[in-house]
Amino acid sequence: MGKPVPRSVVEGFYRALAASDFRALDLSLAEDVTWTISGPVDILPFCGKRSGKAVVLKLLDRDIPAFLDKRRLVPSVMLVDGDRAAVFGRLTASRGDIGRKISYRIAQFVRFENEQAVEYVSIIDSFDAVEQVLGQQLTATAGARATGGELVAV
Amino acid sequence: MAYSVPRTVVEEFYKAYATRDADKIAPFIHDDVEWTISGPVDFLPFCGVHRGKADVLDMIEHKVKAVLRNISFEPESIVIDGDQVAMLSRQAAKRSKDGCTVRYRVANIMRFRDGKVIENFSLLDSFDAVEQVIGQQLTAGTHGAIGDFVAV
Repeated sequence: MGKPVPRSVVEGFYRALAASDFRALDLSLAEDVTWTISGPVDILPFCGKRSGKAVVLKLLDRDIPAFLDKRRLVPSVMLVDGDRAAVFGRLTASRGDIGRKISYRIAQFVRFENEQAVEYVSIIDSFDAVEQVLGQQLTATAGARATGGELVAV
Repeated sequence: MAYSVPRTVVEEFYKAYATRDADKIAPFIHDDVEWTISGPVDFLPFCGVHRGKADVLDMIEHKVKAVLRNISFEPESIVIDGDQVAMLSRQAAKRSKDGCTVRYRVANIMRFRDGKVIENFSLLDSFDAVEQVIGQQLTAGTHGAIGDFVAV
């Protein structure tokens, strides 16, 4: 375990995320940060793994807002332990193109180095999120997905 | 003073939990536990809210094993703060119906009381998990639009 991150730093990081304060986020992210959001990339294009501060800032500043507008994380739990933090809550947003409101549960795990986020992984209730984004119930069809999420069956 | 769960208790719990043996897990489960697994019950019947020790152990011993066997998990991150614990892990298992391997990530948010789990919320990459468990692709269905709803 690396150097402990103060709770105030974690809280500052989340304040910057919530406010889309990219000047603060630029200071809060390590140059080699990795940012992973679980879920099917072909349906939720903001999912997948990104590496590097510039790519992550672009994701937060442009790519996600292009798909989900008025994002708001409502945290119910924030845990800090050593160099790691975990936040559990609900993300609410509107689908940018048609304005449909969506809301799904999310768990975020962040590792800090030198008080900067260096690794972010979020798990979302992706089935629920996809149904809401598509506005339709999901059913099974024969065949395997060509481009699935980060983890695939082997 | 608020209860803080010792790291050793958390480690012992996860060691027992990894065995998927209800007898070994039972000492770590509070009688009044509430155990929630997010996901569509139609596809993953072990999802939903399970209340009470007997119901939770039955879920672990029977409902999960009806779908998945030989479950293993590799913790990636364990965060302990007071009486609460968050764990991110990669789980692997064999589908009970045909032995095919499935893998997906899970986040557990737990609250402990007196060395036992009193509350758990498991959040999984449910779209990925369902596709792997049923061995089929998920697509928008023909049941019609579900409208402008908000999950609760």
